[in-house]
Amino acid sequence: MKKSYFAMVALIIASLVLAACGGGQTQTPAATEPPTEVVTEAPTEAMTEAPTEAPTEAPTGEATEPPASGEGITIGQVTDLGGIDDKSFNASAFAGAERAVEQLGGEAKYLESQQQSDYARNIQQFVDEDTDLIVTVGFLLGVDTATAAKANPDQKFAIVDYSYPDCFGDTAVEGETCGSATELPNVMGLTFDTDQAAFLAGYAAAASTQTGTVATFGGINIPPVTIFMKGFEAGVNYYNEQKGTDVQVLGWSTADNDGVFTGNFESTDDGRANAESFVQEGADIIMPVAGPVGLGSAAYCQESGSCRIVGVDTDWTVSASEYSDVIFTSVLKRVDNAVFDAAQSVADGSFAGGVYLGTLENEGVGLAEVSGAASELTAELDQLKADIIAGTVTLPE
Amino acid sequence: MTNVLELRGITKRFPGVLANDKVDITLREGKILALLGENGAGKTTLMNILYGLYKPDEGQIFVRGQEVDIQSPNDAIARGIGMVHQHFMLVPVMTVTENVMLGVEPTKNGVFLDHDKVADRIREISDQYGLEVDPHAYIKDLPVGIQQRVEIIKVLYRQADILILDEPTAVLTPQEVEGLFRILQTLIDKGKSIIFITHKLKEVMNAADDITVLRLGRIVGSIDPKDATPEILASMMVGRDVNLVVMKQPAKPGEDVLKVNDLYVRDERKNMTVNGVSFDVCKGEVLGVAGVQGNGQTELVYALTGLLPVESGEIYLSGTAIHNKSPRTILEHGVAHIPEDRQRHGLILSFPIYDNMMLCTYYEAPFAKGVSLQENVIQNNAETLVKQYDVRTPNIYVNASALSGGNQQKVIVAREFSRPIQLLIASQPTRGLDVGSIEYIHNQIIKKRDEGTGVLLVSSELDEILALSDRIAVMYKGQIMDVLDAKNANKDNLGLLMAGVHPSESTQKEERLP
Amino acid sequence: MTQTATVKATKPKGIGGGTLGQALLVPALAVLSGLIIGAIFILAIGENVLTAYGALFRGSFGSLPALIEGIRVYFSTGENQALVRALYPFTESLVTATPYILTGLSVAVGFRCGLFNIGAEGQFFIGALCSAFVGYSIRGLPAFIHLPLAILGGALGGAVWGMIPGYLKARFGAHEVVNTIMMNWIAFRLSDWLLNGPMQASGFRPVTPNIQPTAELPRFFADPLRFNWGFVLALVMAYIVYWFLFKTTLGFEIRSVGANPDAARYAGMNIVKNFVFVMALAGGLAGMAGSAQVLGVDHWVGQGFAAGYGFDAIALALVGKSHPFGVVLAALLFGFLRSGATEMQSMAGIPIDIISIIQGLVIIFIAAPAIIRWIYRIPTIKTEETVLTRGWGS
Repeated sequence: MKKSYFAMVALIIASLVLAACGGGQTQTPAATEPPTEVVTEAPTEAMTEAPTEAPTEAPTGEATEPPASGEGITIGQVTDLGGIDDKSFNASAFAGAERAVEQLGGEAKYLESQQQSDYARNIQQFVDEDTDLIVTVGFLLGVDTATAAKANPDQKFAIVDYSYPDCFGDTAVEGETCGSATELPNVMGLTFDTDQAAFLAGYAAAASTQTGTVATFGGINIPPVTIFMKGFEAGVNYYNEQKGTDVQVLGWSTADNDGVFTGNFESTDDGRANAESFVQEGADIIMPVAGPVGLGSAAYCQESGSCRIVGVDTDWTVSASEYSDVIFTSVLKRVDNAVFDAAQSVADGSFAGGVYLGTLENEGVGLAEVSGAASELTAELDQLKADIIAGTVTLPE
Repeated sequence: MTNVLELRGITKRFPGVLANDKVDITLREGKILALLGENGAGKTTLMNILYGLYKPDEGQIFVRGQEVDIQSPNDAIARGIGMVHQHFMLVPVMTVTENVMLGVEPTKNGVFLDHDKVADRIREISDQYGLEVDPHAYIKDLPVGIQQRVEIIKVLYRQADILILDEPTAVLTPQEVEGLFRILQTLIDKGKSIIFITHKLKEVMNAADDITVLRLGRIVGSIDPKDATPEILASMMVGRDVNLVVMKQPAKPGEDVLKVNDLYVRDERKNMTVNGVSFDVCKGEVLGVAGVQGNGQTELVYALTGLLPVESGEIYLSGTAIHNKSPRTILEHGVAHIPEDRQRHGLILSFPIYDNMMLCTYYEAPFAKGVSLQENVIQNNAETLVKQYDVRTPNIYVNASALSGGNQQKVIVAREFSRPIQLLIASQPTRGLDVGSIEYIHNQIIKKRDEGTGVLLVSSELDEILALSDRIAVMYKGQIMDVLDAKNANKDNLGLLMAGVHPSESTQKEERLP
Repeated sequence: MTQTATVKATKPKGIGGGTLGQALLVPALAVLSGLIIGAIFILAIGENVLTAYGALFRGSFGSLPALIEGIRVYFSTGENQALVRALYPFTESLVTATPYILTGLSVAVGFRCGLFNIGAEGQFFIGALCSAFVGYSIRGLPAFIHLPLAILGGALGGAVWGMIPGYLKARFGAHEVVNTIMMNWIAFRLSDWLLNGPMQASGFRPVTPNIQPTAELPRFFADPLRFNWGFVLALVMAYIVYWFLFKTTLGFEIRSVGANPDAARYAGMNIVKNFVFVMALAGGLAGMAGSAQVLGVDHWVGQGFAAGYGFDAIALALVGKSHPFGVVLAALLFGFLRSGATEMQSMAGIPIDIISIIQGLVIIFIAAPAIIRWIYRIPTIKTEETVLTRGWGS
């Protein structure tokens, strides 16, 4: 008996060794292998075309050299606490990175941050690996990204939802409360005019509501969240102006700069509760801007059949397909396109720091298909989009 | 007459210990074999081998002349061997019926448990063997004695004809012991054979047909109960002569050390269990408190030591009121307490002996200097006490859980006696202990008395009360029936008082007191 | 049975009465088994085990050639960049271990008193917020006053957070498990509010301002090495907790109450006083963990700051058998695993979750030592299991 257990353990160890030898790549571990954990539900499927535009903002830094390797590009993404599978900007950004290496060759990797103190470590890991482009996701990485960028001026970065300079006011201390007082030549800030897309969503919602009331709520009252809500409200108001209707928006008021917030980005229960109370107040289309919280709202709508949801960031008919039947439309923030563009600029040597601004024009933001939209509405939305791009319709600041 | 069971040359080794060394045992059909031995003599190991819980290293087992290999309790049951454990294996929140059928559940239509069938069978067994029990009662509501009956029924239900009872009397009151013996007799009369494991001498002589004595894993010898005396059995068990009579000088009582006035105490369930008790204890005397377990003795002791609040009444220790004071205040007034449940109150089993030796005085000099424990002092203290009180332990670093019951009790006695005390409250001080330890602890209590300490001895063992006390108070339903001078007390008049009957009245009026 | 003779004479040197070797045998085998089974998972997802564990090892300890090269370069040229790089993985592991040590101590102290402190996470958060507040709001103090003040602030904040459930248990008998969980949620939501309101730095990000340099736990090396005095603080606290639990009368009381509350009461100890005190102490330690993290590593507190230290701490206390030194070893183990996982994830493409699996396996094996004893055929030695809690009924 006793011997057989030792034999078993020995067998396991032996099999490990054999497997390891069979792999035959002890020298450069997995250097060419992408991680097996591929994001499966990222909205890559929803994409139809790869935008080719370079960053629209005038680059301020000098253009830097293309990656030395010549064999594609290595991209390292550092997630925020949401993790790679967040069905939101982490997933979306990595989808862009994967698409980039698909077309350009090379490797895309990611490191998940599980704690605040992981940000700096994970960035450092990629710096140590001489990664061509480090993509950091989210404003919480703002300071650590800037610090690393300054310490490693040859390292190229792209940061999602953030840009430099970010030090304003007297209390700001560079490298502490904010990342950098000046623009950083080796960091591209990927920002998005999501209000443009939300404006379209608001217009569509106002056109489609049965009850004359629509609603929105956010996670917390911060600009990356409220920009959606502002655009949404503006879109509804624009519809009212155009059509002489009086569709109400619950949950946000740009005039007061305040609205309904769950205070977190986690609780699907909060999403359900908010949806329920909005429905009781008469709303039938709701836009939750709080990540997975919105899934709770979608679940409520599906069960009660009394409301529909405007998804945000990704196309929810893809990323939350179980709720497809109650998804009205989605406000797309094409982080994937932005990351792809950034990667491509690294590959072709045109990379420059500064700000990438995703707009309707460069497909950095967009509106997914509006479910059940009449052809007139589709035409109106197309026209509106063209007007916004042309600047004939302007959004409130 | 045939031998239903024979063990030949059973040897069982545990790491570092020879638990059974070539043990031979014979059980005759329709007889009670008493297996006598001190705690740790190897009795339980032997029975666990027989019941298939351990495998013997050597030796053979014969059931009705046929050699058997018992691998598991199921094998044992299949051979008609049933075991009633010392610690009952019952599920308190289930009924008697459910407990009996546990493991051998009969079903109706292959799906539903057939409670009625089992209940009927239980009633049959009850009638047949005089084991009265309500099949639908919940175990948790039953007294210990009845729970034991359920255990026996469980064994009989599985059609055992060889019953092993491991220390069946350890948890029983004297009355319940009587009841058990009657049951055993009935079982024998109906053709069952019984092995009865115990360390209590007198029970053996009353109940057994054969006596086999084990010591240190070996058979010391077998003896006919007719030839046995407690002294002979005790010396066989212990391996030396044992003095079963406590030698003591007449007491020289001094002034009152403890005075209790009209005391009322509620137990943890808020029932009034001490109903107006008054008594006093003098320096240099032993006041024994006799009574059947559960008549308020426990709560009385808890109130005296501060573990339960006093509802009304007063307690004075040498003139100082100590009622409703904290346990620490009472301890600091010089009260020593040998608690009734030594493992629950008296010791921290997971702590080493040296820590247990200063459990009540850890915060005082010399054990502490400021907040810092003085390890050397603590360990030296333990070394000294272990020697002085003859605690049998490899060293002072082992946990209290590693000691036998007798040695655990010695640790408590050593600790409580080693600090200055004026009153000793000893509650069931020898319960579950072997003869040698009982002798030792009795002598220590008398020694303390002779030093001028007042002693309150609470015990449900009448022998113990009679052996040690100078005066005897009998508790019944939370009241003191009477306080007798030990000279005038005997088992008869104490027994009546314990049952709530006043002897003088019983002859005259046959009237029961409340 | 004849237990007296079966118990070997053991001096009370090791953890919980056994010798150190005995005490460490099962945990060591548990770690080994965890790695072996983890390897099976890695094989199952089609990755190379040697690559993965090689990266894990390099990520936790660094590589020897790099270290030698770093030393050589440093002594021949005085350039320390290579040396710093070589030291980085090892020091990062210690940085990761620091909050684990302190939160692990927090839970362990609770266990020693029979209390289940699930609230270390909230206490950690509150401690971090308090330290951050003291750290950024007070200006102009010299470091030797400001830093201790900031640590004290965190410890006190955590202590209050722990003491509340302790008091509720002592006063009303409310179970600490329920109350510490509630206090966690209060801490999380309170921090949401604080980080978006009163304590928010300028700008929109839900983070506090950075602490003053005078409140920082000094780092031993230049950036990017974050190794700082927090680790030393944690070790010192582990020793102090050890001393307190095992060498003082107060610690004796706590252990007595935990091991056998009835006997503790019999011995004149005040049970409820100990409950309050221990929960405050446990909270203080967890708060100090938050302190060390914010003062030594992050210098600011943002949303999602705590991220599970307090919950991992429960496992740590279990693995470390509620002994301060055991907790330190367990925390180092977790620190090395977590820290090495970064390299493993990046270099070998192994999801970081595999580390959670290995940790989980280690915990299972340690919590159920019978499995390990069975696999490796270790004879059972009869020792008292450490009493963890008294369950719901107490």
